Amino acid sequence: MPSNPRSTARIVGHPLHAMLVPIPIACFVGTLVTDIAYAETANMQWANMSAWMLTIGLIVALFAVIAGLIDFLGDRRIRDLRAVWIHAGGNAVALVLAIFNAFIHSRDAYTSVVPTGLTLSVLTVLILLVTGWIGWEMVYRHRVGVLAEDGE
Amino acid sequence: MTKTAFLCGAVFVLAACGPAPINPQRQIGAHPYLPEIHQYLLPPMHVVKNIGWGNSTPIAAQGLTVAAFAKNLRNPRSVYVLPNGDVLVVESDGPPAPVSRPKEFVMDWIEQQAHSSVKAGNRILLFRDTNGDGIPDMQTVFLDKLHSPFGVVLVGTDLYVANTDGVSHYPYREGQTRITAPGKLLTPLPAGPIDHHWTKSLTASPDGTKLYAGVGSNSNITENGIGAELDRAAIWEIDRVTGAHRLYATGLRNPNGLTFEPQTHALWTVVNERDELGPDLVPDYMTSVKDGGFYGWPYSYYGQHIDPRVKPQRPDLVAKAIPPDYALSSHVAPLGLVFYTADNLPASYRGGAFIGEHGSWDRSELNGYKVVFVPFSNGKPNGMAHDILTGFIHGDTAHGRPVALAIDKQGALLVADDVGGAVWRVSAATQ
Repeated sequence: MPSNPRSTARIVGHPLHAMLVPIPIACFVGTLVTDIAYAETANMQWANMSAWMLTIGLIVALFAVIAGLIDFLGDRRIRDLRAVWIHAGGNAVALVLAIFNAFIHSRDAYTSVVPTGLTLSVLTVLILLVTGWIGWEMVYRHRVGVLAEDGE
Repeated sequence: MTKTAFLCGAVFVLAACGPAPINPQRQIGAHPYLPEIHQYLLPPMHVVKNIGWGNSTPIAAQGLTVAAFAKNLRNPRSVYVLPNGDVLVVESDGPPAPVSRPKEFVMDWIEQQAHSSVKAGNRILLFRDTNGDGIPDMQTVFLDKLHSPFGVVLVGTDLYVANTDGVSHYPYREGQTRITAPGKLLTPLPAGPIDHHWTKSLTASPDGTKLYAGVGSNSNITENGIGAELDRAAIWEIDRVTGAHRLYATGLRNPNGLTFEPQTHALWTVVNERDELGPDLVPDYMTSVKDGGFYGWPYSYYGQHIDPRVKPQRPDLVAKAIPPDYALSSHVAPLGLVFYTADNLPASYRGGAFIGEHGSWDRSELNGYKVVFVPFSNGKPNGMAHDILTGFIHGDTAHGRPVALAIDKQGALLVADDVGGAVWRVSAATQ
């Protein structure tokens, strides 16, 4: 029986990339929510939360990217999946948008969110919907990083 | 991944690409050129390295000479001359600032580079120059254990010190070299936990009945919320007897150097305007202050120029925003203002204003870092500002940064230099 594509960056068999990605995803979705709340209320508390979530999301995303790249380079069967290229390329774009967004959010008061910051937050989440979907597909359908019944 | 790295690099390249700074001369006077707003991706932060003075001094304009009045001080920010000629030097530091956004970690670090690393004493020193040669022969600690003090004013035998959190009263008799009596709080002023612009400038009305305190805004442009701005960005008028206060004028982002113009007896101030709208917005200024006047901050600048960063807007206030009298160009950070009424300096200086410009940190080409003079006639600015004291910066290094000013008993100009840890004395060059 052929084994599954193997995750190289792992701890006790648990792929690091899959464990890390929920944090940036939650942070960037959260940024969109608090950006909308700020645009509606002009209460700075929401914009401050956006700025923190963007920063934390970006920091953890950096580690998720490293883990993902190690997996990508570590097993040819992962590189051979068409989905992985869309997943990685899309996330690279999302990250660049989030970096720009963090700079926009470092402006003071209203224009730190409206309109550019909010727009970037929407685009980031839209991309993540697609790349996240593909990421889950890679695990649940192509069994990337999933242990085979016989171990490996 | 290389793509990501490349675009990251592009972010920084883009950030460096703001509009090129214009010649500051275009923004000096009653009608400054105001360019389009440019909001940065990453504002330019041009911070100079502090290297101290060693044995060098600033450079005085022609006909003037400069010498150190005091050196090795810890953040001297303001100077005040008592009637007997004793010079008070206020050593002061801002209170610690809370961090509400990731940006502030970066900003705090950058601003630390720009300010003196020496911890201030938060006290007032007294210097006495008995023989009037411009070199003090006695130094005492006049008042100690203050709370980020800045403004000082004496009315008769009543001495007032503006700490960042309130104006305190002390009894003073002429010749006293140390005050040990505890201060009595006359009026609390808005301070922490957020205390963004903490220097509280102080002066007294010519008749001595009122005090005027400058209370700067609690943010660059309301990024700490409009609630944090209550009673700030204003000049307070304080009743000297009861301590009761009212807002004399508002919309003044960070008013300092409060002083009465000697001819018209109008209150004047220098104001630090807002940042991060480009290298040439918004010009800092000096202005006479009208009772009840509104000068724009945060909603607008120079009259009705709207700041898009402020929501909700207040068109009712913007409509009555008064444009200031005289622009000093952008980001020069004026913190000191004094009118010249003595006669040690050449006659051309009489009646005009000296301005201490602490210097820019958010402009790719440095601006300020000098003391300038603006001639006045009939109580109004009349002519271009010109340099009086320069040489504070040298390429990308700073020897010092001028702050508040005073005129001593002999008629010389005293300049507090916080980063340089000195007080400079500018007098007429001997023929």
